[in-house]
Amino acid sequence: MSDIISAENLIVVYQDGTRAVEDISFNVEEGEFFGFLGPNGAGKSTTIKVLTTLLRKASGKVAVAGFDLEKSPGEIRKCIGVLSQETSLDVDLTGWENLHLQGRLQQMSGTALDERVKELLELVQLDGVARKPAGRYSGGMRKRLDLASALINKPRLLFLDEPTTGLDAQSRTAIWEYLESLNKKEGITIFLTTQYLEEADRLCQRLSIIDHGKLIAKGTPAELKETVGGDMVNLTLKDPLLRERAKLVLKTIAGVSKVSDSDGGVVAYTKNAGQIIAELVTTLDRNGIRPSFLSISSPTLDDVFLRETGRRIRSDELSRKETEPFLM
Amino acid sequence: MTILFDTQSLLQRFLTKLIRNPTLLGTSLAEPILFLILFSQLFTKFGNFLPAASGGYLAYLVPGIVLFNAMITAPQGGVSIANDINSGFLSKMLLTQVRRSAILLGRLLTDMTVAVAQSVITIGVAVAMGVSFESGAAGILLLLLTSAYFELALSGIFLTVGIITRKTETISALASVLFFPLVFISSAMFPVSFFPSWAQVFSNYNPVSYTSDVMRQLVTGGLNLGTLGDAYALIGAIAIVTFAATLYQFRKVVS
Repeated sequence: MSDIISAENLIVVYQDGTRAVEDISFNVEEGEFFGFLGPNGAGKSTTIKVLTTLLRKASGKVAVAGFDLEKSPGEIRKCIGVLSQETSLDVDLTGWENLHLQGRLQQMSGTALDERVKELLELVQLDGVARKPAGRYSGGMRKRLDLASALINKPRLLFLDEPTTGLDAQSRTAIWEYLESLNKKEGITIFLTTQYLEEADRLCQRLSIIDHGKLIAKGTPAELKETVGGDMVNLTLKDPLLRERAKLVLKTIAGVSKVSDSDGGVVAYTKNAGQIIAELVTTLDRNGIRPSFLSISSPTLDDVFLRETGRRIRSDELSRKETEPFLM
Repeated sequence: MTILFDTQSLLQRFLTKLIRNPTLLGTSLAEPILFLILFSQLFTKFGNFLPAASGGYLAYLVPGIVLFNAMITAPQGGVSIANDINSGFLSKMLLTQVRRSAILLGRLLTDMTVAVAQSVITIGVAVAMGVSFESGAAGILLLLLTSAYFELALSGIFLTVGIITRKTETISALASVLFFPLVFISSAMFPVSFFPSWAQVFSNYNPVSYTSDVMRQLVTGGLNLGTLGDAYALIGAIAIVTFAATLYQFRKVVS
């Protein structure tokens, strides 16, 4: 498949000198569901702003939908749709008027525009409230209307900047199903940024993990998790001295490939936890180490992030502005 | 599609928003009536000191009220662009194929439309109150054009401030500080001969005086084309300066 996005050595520097994106290279294939996973301030939104022609890059070579970013920004705008992190609607205009205006700004008019507006309102199930001002919509309804406006020009490539931030779990699942349908049934390439591990894991066929403006890992979710090294045995140990002793003891056990710190404990990596768990517990007990909690888990993308950065993407640190039901 | 198509789309957006806000629409349209009635009643005795052929204080006041209302429409453009930047709607527009200049033109045309609507109401009320427009329909059209032209020139100031500060409160504060001395130390509302000497000097250099004097000639008759030319050149110079600043700031946002 051909690349719909290719970025080589992309660097973005803000006016105050902050280097928001540090020499990253990646590609997205036509028809792919591709993701950027990372915590707040990692450089995800900045990258989207550059790819969608809103922000100038400092250097690097970027092509979107076959057009050079600097030479043909107008051509790029014709074939992309963008759903920003913040819902941006004109709250004084009705749902119908918002979509109609967006269509006109995309140079659509007449019956073709009217039909597209009708089709999208039905698609996002807002046809019943199409004549009400968007200011009267719930947060979830506004998000759906915003998504519909990003689709008005039938884009080949859809950019989604943290589309489910602020939505409750039920609404998030509904959005995911809708996005999967857009990608699979309509063949729209999707570039998604997210700070939700579960979102990246479920939706993205391929993803890059970004932190402090640098790409720290890339691959399919399965490939990335495989790099962590099989299963993890998580031990909760509150005493720091005991943790250090546990790390030394665990390293002596055959089958443990790596030992590292985690929040309030220690993690032992192994190919098959079932085969070594008995020996592991016995060895720890023999050395007077009794964890307050022990669990075995398969690696998640958070573990990939932990391995690469020494930190976790903590969902409790995420900024959630609103939690409103999203009714599909 | 042309720039006219984009400008029309945005003009339609802003006018729809205005209609959806009945309080703003109502006060915008009632304002000129209120000012005209209030000033003409409170200061009616000024008419005793005006030349007999001038049509009295009400006829003197009409161009001043028309101009003042056009002026207080000018900050709306700045408020609107600050709101669009803050809400992310400007970025959303910039992600489309809309011509960037249409974003400004749509807003400017909206404000000019509101200014003209206010002026038409003021003139209508003035006629009902007995003012006769000596220059006829052509004079009234030129009066409307002149007030809209002045409003346009001032819009550039508020668009620039709106883009830089992105704060609607700053725009409102600036409008108050700027407009009160410009309007009340000019010949717009009161004959300059009643002012202290320092205020007369200020008024002589005040573009509001130039503009309102020309507009007054259109009401009372005796239009001097030289004065009209001077006023239009002065307004044009203001427009060039304010829009150079607006375009400079706008380019920084859109590119």
